[in-house]
Amino acid sequence: MQLFVNIIVLSSIYALIACGYVLIYRVSRVLNLAHGELMMLGSYLLLTTASSFSGHPAAAIAAAVVLSLTVGVLVYVFLMRKMTGEMALAAVLTTVALGILLRGLMVLIWSAQQQYPGQALGFSNPAIALPGGGRISTFAALLVLATALTYAALFFFLRFGRWGVRMRAAGQNPLLAAQRGINLHAVYALAWGLSTLTGSIAGMLISLDSGLTNTMVIIGLKAFPAALVGGLDSLAGALVGALIIGAAEVLSIQYIDPLLSDVVPFLILIAMLVVRPWGLFGTREELDRV
Amino acid sequence: MTPPLLSVDKLEVVYNRAITAIQGISLSVQTGQIVAILGTNGAGKSTTLRAISGFLGIDDARVTEGAVTFKGQRIENRPPNEVTRLGIVLVPEREKVFPNLTVAENLAAPFAPSMSNAERREREDLIYHFFPRLADLRTRTGGLLSGGERQMLAVASGLVCKPELLLIDELSLGLAPVVVEDLMQRLLQIRKELGITIVIVEQSAAVALEIADYGYVLENGRVVLDGDRERLTSHGDIQEFYLGQSSGDRRNYRDVKQYRRSRRWYG
Repeated sequence: MQLFVNIIVLSSIYALIACGYVLIYRVSRVLNLAHGELMMLGSYLLLTTASSFSGHPAAAIAAAVVLSLTVGVLVYVFLMRKMTGEMALAAVLTTVALGILLRGLMVLIWSAQQQYPGQALGFSNPAIALPGGGRISTFAALLVLATALTYAALFFFLRFGRWGVRMRAAGQNPLLAAQRGINLHAVYALAWGLSTLTGSIAGMLISLDSGLTNTMVIIGLKAFPAALVGGLDSLAGALVGALIIGAAEVLSIQYIDPLLSDVVPFLILIAMLVVRPWGLFGTREELDRV
Repeated sequence: MTPPLLSVDKLEVVYNRAITAIQGISLSVQTGQIVAILGTNGAGKSTTLRAISGFLGIDDARVTEGAVTFKGQRIENRPPNEVTRLGIVLVPEREKVFPNLTVAENLAAPFAPSMSNAERREREDLIYHFFPRLADLRTRTGGLLSGGERQMLAVASGLVCKPELLLIDELSLGLAPVVVEDLMQRLLQIRKELGITIVIVEQSAAVALEIADYGYVLENGRVVLDGDRERLTSHGDIQEFYLGQSSGDRRNYRDVKQYRRSRRWYG
């Protein structure tokens, strides 16, 4: 039972982060390799708002959420906007550079020490006993819930939302979308904002659950195989991919060797790239363009 | 004479900063007209339409010289979404619908998010009035439509943008003559009921001259001939090269000289 709970929690973490990769890739065909750093920035933002809004945890969380959305939009407006029309590779390399820059800045600003935004906000994190004998920490449970809600909201938004239809249209054919009056920059900025927002929510909940150091980037990086195994342009795929990666990681820690935990996601990634590079649910033609 | 709705003046378009696709094309479109742009492959017809509707950065094309004026406003090198909002909508030659969106979503994508539900319904009803077939196909995915249905959807999704000027690139491409005939009649109906001005680009002069009021013939990025329908259909070169009616006696290919009689050079 505990094993099952661990798989669900880890998969939720990966799924919540992976949907950020998928959103941006699906809309603008750019692979955002700074996603892990942006996620970590979200949790550091929470740490900062927690100290400036001390005593008002709800206000602190709301401020951090708004800030992270803004960060995503600003990254597009000031950096990625200039890359539209350039080669996909140039855009991906830009995100790599952004990631390295952010990582350095975050150590400079917030130091590399282990910190606890949960303490700063005055939250405790009691374990909840589940029927069947498993235990789950409060924030881990919240994270699973947040993942479910985020995915439901994203599915609904993309399927029925007015901006959702425009995002899908822009992802399929940017030129035609523009010719139909859709402002591509607005759509891309929205995708970056939403992607950074979901990533940051994941980062905040992880840091509330288990504290915050600059090694958190690794989690973001390990969510990338989840996105790719599922298919980079498929949200449902990201969910399935996260489940596969999460299960493989937990099971290999349990039955083989805990040291494998950082290796297994990438082993699966390589295996997937060899067998089916466009992922389980991805579109084959999409990958040829990169 | 009233000023034209659209005028293109000595337009020059360069791809990749190196390849000149059109060199000095001038044409003008009066409100309410149907204007045909004719010519063979690579004559610059599509480029002319694309230049009017605007390029994206990914096209790597630019208007390097000349002017495009729409209702007295210069619009060359504006992004396509702004040109669409001004009232010029292009139905492109290829990739004209969103393949993974349903018919209804294809028609809804151009709506501004702030548009009221009443307005949306009104525009949709207008579309289903002109293209009742699309109402039956509402939930069908764009990529699964037949060629004729896809062309219908492409024109319809252009119409929901409420254009004053509709640009259509190769309406007849790859379609059966009976389907083309039907689409052409719809265009006439659309012009009559909505007063929309239409520019069509066609390789098939017979089809285009059936409904056009005025025509331009392009060759190698230049206008080589223009005139109203009567003038073009009776013109010897058009009859011979586009309508396939030879003057009777067989001629040697060596004697064929295109447009020698009326060649005009701009710029």
